[in-house]
Amino acid sequence: MPSSRILPEFELLMPQSVEEAVKLLKKYKAKASVMAGGTDVVVSGTQGFATEAVISLAKVPGLDYVKFSKSGGLKIGALATLQMVADSADVKKNYPALYKSAAINGTPQTRNMGTVVGNVMRASPSGDCACALLALGAKIVFQGPNGKREISIDEFFIDYKKTARKADELAVEIKLPAPKTGVVSAFNRITRTTLDLSKINAAVCLTVSGGVCKSARIAMGAVAPKTIRLIDSEDLLKGQKISDAILDAISASVGSQISPIDDVRSTAEYRREVSPVLVRRTIEEAIG
Amino acid sequence: MSTSVVGKRIPKVDSRDKVLGTAEYAGDIRMKGMLYGKVVRCMEYSHARVKSIDFKEAMKIPGVIKCLGPKDVTKKGYNTTIMKLLVPEEFCEVFGEIAEMFIFNQHVKYQGDAVCGVIAETEEIAERAADKIKIKYEPLPVYMRASESRKKGAFQFTSLKPGNLAGEFDEAVFPDNAYGWPDADTGKMGDDLESECDVVVEGNFYVPKQKQCQMENHAYVALYDNRGKLHCWTSTQMPKPVQVLLAELFELPMSRMRVFQTVVGGGFGVRLGMIAEPHACAMAMAVPGRPVKVEFLREEDWIASETRFPGNYDMKMGFKEDGTPIFVEANFCADKGGYYTHGNGPVFCAAAFVHGMYKWKTMRQKGQSYFTNNVPSGAYRGYGNPQTSFVQEQLVEEACGKLGIDSIEWRKKWHKSIGDETWLKGVTYASDDLDGCIDLAVKDIKWYEKKKKYAKQKGKKRRGLGIAVMNHTSGAWPMLLEHTVCTAKLNEDCTVELMASISDLGTGGHTAMTQMAADTLGWPMEDIHLNSGDSDVCGFDIGAHASRTVYCAGPAIIEACESVKKQLMERAAQILEARVEDLQMDSKKVISVKGNSKKSVDARLISKQGVYNFFDPVSGKQIGIPGQIQGYSSFLANHCSPPMGACISEVEVDTETGEVKVLELVNAHDIGKAIHPPSVEGQLEGGAQQGLGFVTTEDIYYDENGLCLNSDFTDYKMPGPSDMPKAKIILVETAPDPIAPMGAKSCGESALMGPIGSVANAIADAIGIRFYEAPVTPERILKGIKESGKTFE
Amino acid sequence: MNKHPITLTINNQEYSITVAGHHTLLQVMRDQLDLTEVKYGCGRGECGACTVLVDDDNEKSGRKAIDACLALAATMDGKKLTTARGLGENGDLNAVQQAFVDESGIQCGFCTPGMVVKSTDLLEKNPKATEEEIRFGLEGNICRCTGYVKIVDSVKKAQKVMTKNKKKK
Repeated sequence: MPSSRILPEFELLMPQSVEEAVKLLKKYKAKASVMAGGTDVVVSGTQGFATEAVISLAKVPGLDYVKFSKSGGLKIGALATLQMVADSADVKKNYPALYKSAAINGTPQTRNMGTVVGNVMRASPSGDCACALLALGAKIVFQGPNGKREISIDEFFIDYKKTARKADELAVEIKLPAPKTGVVSAFNRITRTTLDLSKINAAVCLTVSGGVCKSARIAMGAVAPKTIRLIDSEDLLKGQKISDAILDAISASVGSQISPIDDVRSTAEYRREVSPVLVRRTIEEAIG
Repeated sequence: MSTSVVGKRIPKVDSRDKVLGTAEYAGDIRMKGMLYGKVVRCMEYSHARVKSIDFKEAMKIPGVIKCLGPKDVTKKGYNTTIMKLLVPEEFCEVFGEIAEMFIFNQHVKYQGDAVCGVIAETEEIAERAADKIKIKYEPLPVYMRASESRKKGAFQFTSLKPGNLAGEFDEAVFPDNAYGWPDADTGKMGDDLESECDVVVEGNFYVPKQKQCQMENHAYVALYDNRGKLHCWTSTQMPKPVQVLLAELFELPMSRMRVFQTVVGGGFGVRLGMIAEPHACAMAMAVPGRPVKVEFLREEDWIASETRFPGNYDMKMGFKEDGTPIFVEANFCADKGGYYTHGNGPVFCAAAFVHGMYKWKTMRQKGQSYFTNNVPSGAYRGYGNPQTSFVQEQLVEEACGKLGIDSIEWRKKWHKSIGDETWLKGVTYASDDLDGCIDLAVKDIKWYEKKKKYAKQKGKKRRGLGIAVMNHTSGAWPMLLEHTVCTAKLNEDCTVELMASISDLGTGGHTAMTQMAADTLGWPMEDIHLNSGDSDVCGFDIGAHASRTVYCAGPAIIEACESVKKQLMERAAQILEARVEDLQMDSKKVISVKGNSKKSVDARLISKQGVYNFFDPVSGKQIGIPGQIQGYSSFLANHCSPPMGACISEVEVDTETGEVKVLELVNAHDIGKAIHPPSVEGQLEGGAQQGLGFVTTEDIYYDENGLCLNSDFTDYKMPGPSDMPKAKIILVETAPDPIAPMGAKSCGESALMGPIGSVANAIADAIGIRFYEAPVTPERILKGIKESGKTFE
Repeated sequence: MNKHPITLTINNQEYSITVAGHHTLLQVMRDQLDLTEVKYGCGRGECGACTVLVDDDNEKSGRKAIDACLALAATMDGKKLTTARGLGENGDLNAVQQAFVDESGIQCGFCTPGMVVKSTDLLEKNPKATEEEIRFGLEGNICRCTGYVKIVDSVKKAQKVMTKNKKKK
């Protein structure tokens, strides 16, 4: 049986640079997993899942950054921990959805270890940062054998734990657009206890001008095989004055866009019932 | 100045050791030449027969010492519990044959059942080897609920218990298979009286398979030494009975079976009796001279150690218009899990605590436990009482609503009190201040003000208040044996070593015992040390169960210390040529004649001379009085003084998401006397967390094949620090018990019941819908709201 | 080769050892270095019984709390670590540990070494933490005995003592 005390045997590789890490990925491809903070890779190991090799980024310098500029937006390095992101005043001010998704993620210890980039790469349908970053319209920067490649997070989640990352690519950075006037965001989730994985989560990012929603991105997690956008709801909101009536319409639109399941954390019925409530509350929170 | 320490808020005796992490738990033990044992468990099936076991590949791994199958260990069956040590032999017949568990089982009755074992040089090698053992199984039909396994034609778990009925209230002891009493005037039972009632309430409840979740995983080290003695270091709650059980299982005289209880990292009942002591010992016997360590993984805790008794609990109550309680009828049909272990014990106790609570005209409760393919249900803090709180306190509340009677006043009027029978027939309450508890809790939480306010509330979030009262027990006399032996050895420097097998699971028991000894002797606590846990050193003690330590073991400590004191005084009397009754001893241990302090002798000198009893060559006489003083007590409890208590909770229910937040919780407890107040509070505060877990989040889930879905803290959720309200504990000391040692009643298990019943009632109060299944999850609440058609605006 | 020579400084003592790549810091601390105050509670970063402090330049306090069960030992090469046994000076108790003793914030004691390490980190990072922040900060350290009441009381007591000591300095 898998053991929560003794991990399966694997080869631990500790490259000293991004280039070296990419070389190793090119060699091992899917036979290697990439480990930043370890909070996912090690837990998977305790559940009996392990690749032949684990490439740890522990000795790769220069990836533990959270950089912000008003014109350039936010850049999160692959080794920036959840806590670093949660501690950033710039993130808290300009990207409240991301702030919250990082600040309530896991435990203080796992926030000190786990990374935001890792949370997205793991592509768990219930990932909190993944949900927030999808709403915020993040871009992901990969380093591969042939150089850098940047994709929109919209293209990243393909199916259950299936992503657009190529096996020989290393995610080195996540970027968020520069803050613009009228852009607001929020993140919320429902859990069994304070410390928990999300039963469901939702994030919104809206551009509001004079009470009218100019653009909208609404994301949800744990209601489908992957983190999803609620495009129909976004369309309902775009160009509209945010009113009770429009919020009612958005709530009513959620059901047809989600496909939740029963699992140990909740039931499909409950998720279906509460998703519209959560989306509505998150929009309300975003617009304040 | 008085040196009394009883009732003082002093640091616990073991706190420095624990705060530095130097306290040694069984898993921390390292020994020269130690090997590691891995119990190989059936993970693929919850019900199967083992067709074959192939060790070949496993044995090829370097570092593997031995693989053991069913044929390589004793073929004797056993029961993990001490059921047969607790009651007279005649009564044991009621249980029938219950030793139906084997160290390695060929008939797998739940996922996690032990099938074989590996011994290796390291734990990692043992784990790798375990994965290489090839076991073939033949699957058998799976029954996860009593309602399935009790059906006619169901596969029989054991020929010893026909119909898969592990136990019920045996006709020989309980006529009509029921516990209770008929109406004293008419002899009628509930059925006959129902038509005379003005209000009848009933409910079919489900109570969950809650897990103890003690933080320390079960761990054992065993050594079969080269003189033929078997040693077992274990985190059991019951070291002495485990010594007996292991000696029986391995057919060794007790003189060759030593059990050593290490520091225990929480118990809550899961460690009553044995868990994997037999496996560790069997492995040790296979490699004489080398210690073998067996340490559970956290996930093994859920699949291979016992849980609370879950099942269907139905209850019906009848009342007169004026509130007079007429009858209560109930049936608790429990899912037993794969083995007998505690049999029907907690199901009986669920009834017993109904018995001890209210003044019904008649009560009749039945209960059965049927085998099912989940991990055995067993002892968990409260032992049936938490289930009763969820059921009984909700129905009482519902009835009061229908009667239009204030449920606070109803409870005050109709709860049992001094002179009434407690949970057990023939044993009466000698003290009670439940009314005081209720009044203090009501006042503290501002019950009436808030009730008034919430009656008018509007909106999507609704608040509610709920109350529950409870009775429990202080030790299990006279149903079970309550016996503790204590030897108090007076050292030559006039300090005391107490030797008693008293378990402290984190409860503060060792601190309380030391305080009681210190006050008995009138000496500082530093001069007293409690040596416990080593079966070679200590006399009998039943172990930590049934909230017994202060009430049942405390008197043994007191008696042994009194004996030490008495012997010192007698010697002093001889030396001072005075009468014992004219002497007094001060806190500096000087014994003097009352009113003549110059006529004195130092007890330290008496102690020293008792040991160093030299012969004076000049006078030709012995110096001092010979003999090292020892006090001794073999104390058998002869009464039970149950505590009562009242708990009020306030909750907020989010009617859109079904989420419940417990805002406040006040638990007033009729302790009589708190020996160590922080420990008593700590028991009640901690119990509140377990109670809230029962009622809001905790249950073990299985898939359709009986495989556990939440064997980790990721998916077995307990309230965390942010989820817990600040539990407020009120210790009520207005009714010290006249029989209890120093007036102290129990508190260990009492803590769960009030929070469970009161939160369930508070949820119903908030939204006007009652929930019959625990835990009351947001999923159940939303479903309930939907079905009720209620709207909250 | 799956063997990694590493150096760890734990409680100011340096250990140069060779570890297997797949061995966790918890496993190495307990089984190779005999530092059994670091407890195995769940192995999955849920319970915090294995909480230790590790030095980190990104932190104002210079260190942070992590779960030893989730860190591979080899990746911790060169790090400075602190366990419950090394919190105080010269093997004595620090203010947090003393407060846990004084307030009876300890029952079975199994979560305690991790709890005091975590509480120390919490107060170093946020000396003015409110009760709500203390409770949220203690998430990830499970105690099944106390209902967290006396643990929170202990942290608050330590907070007072630490504030007072700081003023004195």
